[in-house]
Amino acid sequence: MPADAKHLAARRELAQGISAVERPGPAANQRIQEALAASTADARNALVVGLTGAPGAGKSSLAAALADVARAGGRRVAILAIDPSSHESGGALLGDRVRIDEHPDDDGRFTRSIATRGSGRSLAHVAAAATILVEAAGFDLIFVETVGAGQAEIGIARLADVLLVVEGPEGGDEVQAMKAGILEVADIVAVNKSDRPGAQAAFDRLRSGLALGAGAPELALVSATAGAGISELLATIDDVGAGRGVRGRIRRVEAHLVAAAESHVDAQVREARASGALTTRAEQIVAGTQSLTGSLTALFGISETPDA
Amino acid sequence: MAERTTPIRVLIAKPGLDGHDRGAKVLARGLRDEGFEVIYTGLRRTLDAIVAAAIEEDVDVVGCSILSGAHATLLPKLAASLRASGATDVLVVAGGIIPEADRPELEQAGISGIFGPGTTIAEVATFLRANARRR
Repeated sequence: MPADAKHLAARRELAQGISAVERPGPAANQRIQEALAASTADARNALVVGLTGAPGAGKSSLAAALADVARAGGRRVAILAIDPSSHESGGALLGDRVRIDEHPDDDGRFTRSIATRGSGRSLAHVAAAATILVEAAGFDLIFVETVGAGQAEIGIARLADVLLVVEGPEGGDEVQAMKAGILEVADIVAVNKSDRPGAQAAFDRLRSGLALGAGAPELALVSATAGAGISELLATIDDVGAGRGVRGRIRRVEAHLVAAAESHVDAQVREARASGALTTRAEQIVAGTQSLTGSLTALFGISETPDA
Repeated sequence: MAERTTPIRVLIAKPGLDGHDRGAKVLARGLRDEGFEVIYTGLRRTLDAIVAAAIEEDVDVVGCSILSGAHATLLPKLAASLRASGATDVLVVAGGIIPEADRPELEQAGISGIFGPGTTIAEVATFLRANARRR
């Protein structure tokens, strides 16, 4: 059965919309506002679940397993898989679909690979806008998967309604669990690959480490590939995300506003580097012929007002 | 035409049953280093799955690696299916072991570029830059 034109038309429209908002500007903003208006008119409130964790922890497989369970329950499910762009070439290798089964005939599913492009912050600038478009296209549950590295974690924590941190069976020592960082903002920590040796021990170590702190995240022990604990984890996600209503969409708009501002600054920085203006200014500052304050204005349009 | 401001997106697919993806992976990595956004989908995908992935990823190019000898049936079907799904401006190219004699028919069916063994990554990149849709 070939996937016919009508069948894929809705997915195609959404896919082209995401491409359009990857090019920032007034046209992108217009499209995002239309999507917001559509979601508000239809009273849609998608649940956005962020997945982060070290490479190899099994984020893609876990997102796919959760999506399967949710879809079997009748929900419309999307996965946005974010991978880093090369700083050298600007290219990216986006391989998450390898771990996600294709469902060409099912319009209740959508998967999109997103490169971070100019974002120096690992969470793609377009991530928030993409979730807004996917929500407007009628998806109830949106998984946003990103490589856990520094600032990306905070970015995804701010964007998502529920943040799920995925650990492999080797992770989770007690000291690590007590460290500041991602576990402070995690809603749920899932130890994946429960069918592997050491997973239970990793889970126990994590539990004893996290039990010492207040406001500890929920814990789960799962196997994405064996399908163990996935329904329970989805129930936990729904519990954590329950009752957020329109606040989720407001948070997505906040995240987009911040991303648009960052995108603007990142572009200015790239331009200043590429043109040599950054180095020239730095040389002049060192030589004492230019001021820092004046250079910030000249390079980036930043005007710092004197302290009161 | 205006210079594009975003990377060219390429889906690298392995249709059919052969289980050799070394060539596909080398190409995927090489094109990344040439500045392309490469979506790799893994082995043994059905044509419908490749078409749906191409649509969802809104790619500019679909590149198929075929070593099984099934190119004569698979590639024209894939090109036709993409067109039927509205992806009329997506470039379809193929690599692998494809006999010279089969090429005219494939080109007729809308396979724009055919790259045999020995083609360099740079040659593929140049071809894609010259022929991928502008946007």
